[in-house]
Order: sequence, then C-alpha cells, then structure tokens
Amino acid sequence: MGDRSGLQAASQLFWKQGCTMMFKDVADFCICVSMTRRGLRLGMAKVTQVDFPPKEMVSYSKETQTPTDTQTHTQARPEEEEDEEELAEAKPAEDSQEKKADQEEKQEEAPPKELTEEEKMHLLHSDEFLTFFDRGSRIVERALSERVDVCFDYSGRDLEDKEGEMQAGAKMSLNRTFSDERWSKNRVVTCLDWSPQYPELLVASYNNNEDVPHEPDGVALVWNMKYKKTTPEYTFHCQHPVYCVNVVGTQNAHNLISISTDGKMCSWSLDMLSQPQDCLELVFKQSKAVAVTSMAFPLGDVNNFVVGSEDGSVYTACRHGSKAGISDVFEGHHGPVTGLSCHSAGGPVDFSHLFISASFDWTVKLWTTKSTRPLYSFEDSCDYVYDVMWSPTHPALFACVDGSGRLDLWNLNNDTEVPSASVVVDGSTALNRVRWSHSGREIATGDSDGQVLVYDVGEPICVPKPDEWSRLVHTLMEINENRDEGDELAAQRLVA
Amino acid sequence: MAEVEETLKRIQSQKGVQGITIVNAEGIPIKTTLDNSSTVQYAGLIHQLVMKARSTVRDIDPQNDLTFLRIRSKKSGIMIAPDKDYFLIVIQNPSD
Repeated sequence: MGDRSGLQAASQLFWKQGCTMMFKDVADFCICVSMTRRGLRLGMAKVTQVDFPPKEMVSYSKETQTPTDTQTHTQARPEEEEDEEELAEAKPAEDSQEKKADQEEKQEEAPPKELTEEEKMHLLHSDEFLTFFDRGSRIVERALSERVDVCFDYSGRDLEDKEGEMQAGAKMSLNRTFSDERWSKNRVVTCLDWSPQYPELLVASYNNNEDVPHEPDGVALVWNMKYKKTTPEYTFHCQHPVYCVNVVGTQNAHNLISISTDGKMCSWSLDMLSQPQDCLELVFKQSKAVAVTSMAFPLGDVNNFVVGSEDGSVYTACRHGSKAGISDVFEGHHGPVTGLSCHSAGGPVDFSHLFISASFDWTVKLWTTKSTRPLYSFEDSCDYVYDVMWSPTHPALFACVDGSGRLDLWNLNNDTEVPSASVVVDGSTALNRVRWSHSGREIATGDSDGQVLVYDVGEPICVPKPDEWSRLVHTLMEINENRDEGDELAAQRLVA
Repeated sequence: MAEVEETLKRIQSQKGVQGITIVNAEGIPIKTTLDNSSTVQYAGLIHQLVMKARSTVRDIDPQNDLTFLRIRSKKSGIMIAPDKDYFLIVIQNPSD
C-alpha cells in the first residue's frame, strides 16, 4: 500500500537525478510510460521487487531520502498520491509518532485524528505557523477584497438554473417590520389590507391584548411604508375585536360585507353603520347554519362569493337573486378553513373560476367552481395553515403562511410539490395573515405577536412572464388528468 | 498569538466569509471558526484536493509549487492558501 507513495518519491528523484527506476509491478510500469508521453526521459528499467517504506515527507536536499520511521496517514488513502516534498519537522514527526498507533487501527475513510489542545497550542505558537499565517492571511485578505465575479453571465442564460437553486433568502427579503409597543404588542394580527389609492399604506387590524384588559379590544393601525418613521400613521380602536372586513363594489356603489360565525352575512352601507343594510342567513340544505370563518369575492363580482367554514367545507353562495344563499358545497378539508382566495391576476386567459383555501388540516387546496372536488392539495406544511392569497399580478403564484412562522410562495408553473420560495420569520410566532400588495411585488404578513412584516419578493419570482397564462392552462390540464387518474385508481381499489 | 486571533477575527468579519479553518499538513484541523463536524468535513476533503493540486503542479514542473487555490461554485467559494506545513482555508458565500 505504501508503495505507491514510494513510487512517487522515487519517480521524483528519477526526474531530478536520473537514477534507475524500480517498479513494483506492471501497473507501476505503465504509469511511468504515460509520464514519458509528456516528453520526459525514460531510462532502462529493471523490474525488481523493492519495498519502499511509506514516507510522508521527502526533502529536496541532496541527501538521500530520509525515511522517517513513522507510518503516517498515507496508509489511510493508498490510492492517492500522498507524498509531500516537505521538510520533516521534528515536532510534527513526534506528533505523528503518537498518532501512528491509532491510525493503524482506523479504516481508510476515517477522518484524521484530532490533536490535543496542547499540541494545537504548541503548533499555533511555532515560528513556521506564524510565517505561514502571515503570508496566507495576507493573500486571503486581498482575494476577499476583490469582489469581482468572473463567472457573471450578462446574457442571463444562467438565470433559469439559478432560480431553482438560489437560497430562499435571496428570493424574499424582509423590508420592514411594523410593531407598536402600545397598540400592537401582544395582540394577534387579524387582518391586513393594502390601500388601492396609496400603495404605501397598509392597514392592520388586531384582536385583544389579554394582558391589558382595560385597553380597547379592537385596534386598527394604518402603517406607512414610504417613510422610515416607526409609528403608525393612524390609530383606530373599538370595543370588540376586529376579525375581518371586506369592501366590495365600485367607487360609487359599494358595500361593506361582514360575516360572522353564526352564519349571518350582513352588508352595510358606509353611510349608516348602525344597522346593516341587509342580512342573509347562510344555511346549507335548509338546516345547517354555516359557521363562516373566511370569505372571498372573485374579482369584479359583487354577488357571488365563496365562504369557508369551521367544519372544513367551502361553500359558494350569492347575495342576491332567487338563489340567494348557499349554492354548492366543496368538501375536502379535514379541519376548519382559515383562508380563501379567488384568482385575480387578469390576463389573456380567465382563471377566475379558480380559488384556493387554507385550513387547520396543514394543507392548501386548489379548487375550481366548476367541480366540487379539490383539484389539488398542497401538503408541504407541518402546521396549521392560517392564510393564503393569490398574487394580484402573477397567475400561477400564491402565498401561504402557517403556524410555524413560515411564509411560502408557490408557483404552479414551476412545481406543485414544493414551494418555489420559503422564508421563516424569526422568533417563534405563528403567521396569521398574508396579503400581497397591489403591485404584486411585496407581501405583508402579520404574526401572533402583533408584528406586521413586509417582504420584498425577487423579480424573477413575482413578475410574470407573458407565457405564464398559457403555461398555467397546461399545468391545470395536467392537474386535472392526474386527479382523474387518481380517482380511477381509488375507484378500482374500492371495487377490488 | 493575539495577532493571529485578531487577523482571524478580521477575516471572519469580512463580507461573505462563512468560516475559516487552518489544517496542518496531515489534514488535521488546528484552528477553526466553524462547528466541529463541518471543520472535519472540510479539512478532510480539502486536504485531499490540495494534495492532488499540488502534485499536479509539481508533476508538470517539479520546481514549481502550489501557492493559492480558489474554488468558485454556484452557491459559495473556497479559498486555500497552502504552505509546506499548513493550509489556511476560507469558506465564502459570494451571494452576500
């Protein structure tokens, strides 16, 4: 085993001093032959059996090789060219002597044995180390200061590869954190919304602060992204915790819709908030009141909407008309539905029949209003998924947040098994809400500790390319096919 | 010795530096800013690589020797300043 190193040592000497080469076997001979193709000399060789003791250090001096009497780690990796032309140091030799016994017992792949602290300190104080370190650190510092990326590709060809491999942190970066000592600390963020008129304004609503019972239960704060000021622009409070609100309609004819867990949906005129304009009892099949936990209106629709309930079902409903009330039930979740989002990214193809739901059952499900079975189930989370929202600009992108503090971005055109980007918020908080800004470039999320965090999303992820819509058509076709196949298999198993 | 510590700290605090390890000629780590398992892993792998690189240089020209080795990868980089007795290994994160 040590012969290879011996051979190497011998070959070096040969080239320098032209001595006769001695080979252990045919394999060694062949190696020597290949070296000659580089044009180096080859002398007459006698095949003689020789045993070279494995050496770790070979000196360049004119003396013959000084065989150190240590069996060093070269035996651990026989297939490699271990010889180092170095001066045999007295101290390392001593150390290797001590290590020798241990190393002989070890397998080939064993990591090098550690030195004791004393030995290390000894080395660190030695002159050789200091000279080495002086030079080495100088070179390294120079190299570190040069921040030139010689591999940069201006043509952008590399970007497609990079997207798949970039760290999540580079895809989403934290821009701001909004929190108010007095009003938001220790309250859960219950709802978030971006202003359509002033894109830098964000309103967040909070529930009660259990530690401070004499303070109002419900708080809403308006935050401003534009300025570095860390306090809210406006503060509103009310006696009851605020859970969720939604304004539907156009500028002239709009209503505030509220739904609560008793199944009642009220629409209010903003001019008269003392009494609802109109109420609708949401009952399913004339008997069961739907305990609504979430609600969403498709883009541009003021009549039809979807609601999620505590029992895990999603219902479509409409406000007006002969069929006012619940229309269809979509069953699939095994736990209360926490969030709903209707597809809203307008483009060449209309996907407004798609909606997604988040639930306590750790999944996000993709639905179409055309079918009561889910199209697909996203099962990457290990905690309650608290909210989900489609990107307002990218047709295949949506964000979801869960109880472990994770914010995930899913791109259906990229991968339906794992999120395309993911970030975990510091601190052990659960993320309760997620809202894309109207531009689709930022995401706001609220946590259980009253913090609102705004993340910037990297361009490659959030800006849709022109073909995203047609790609999504294909993706949906595949999803449909897979779902039908899955159903067939399940049916077959039932029969069998 | 205090100088060595100071220099190490300075290098470590540079932008993009993930960790520094110093190994001796046998691949045994002497000083490191990384955790134990990473240090052992890097030390073993890099030691083999440096040996190979050095012998390549020497084979081409026996009077030559390896002075600096730098690996650039998609996600990180490794710089190695080898010497007869020790290697200084700096692990980088150029995306910073």
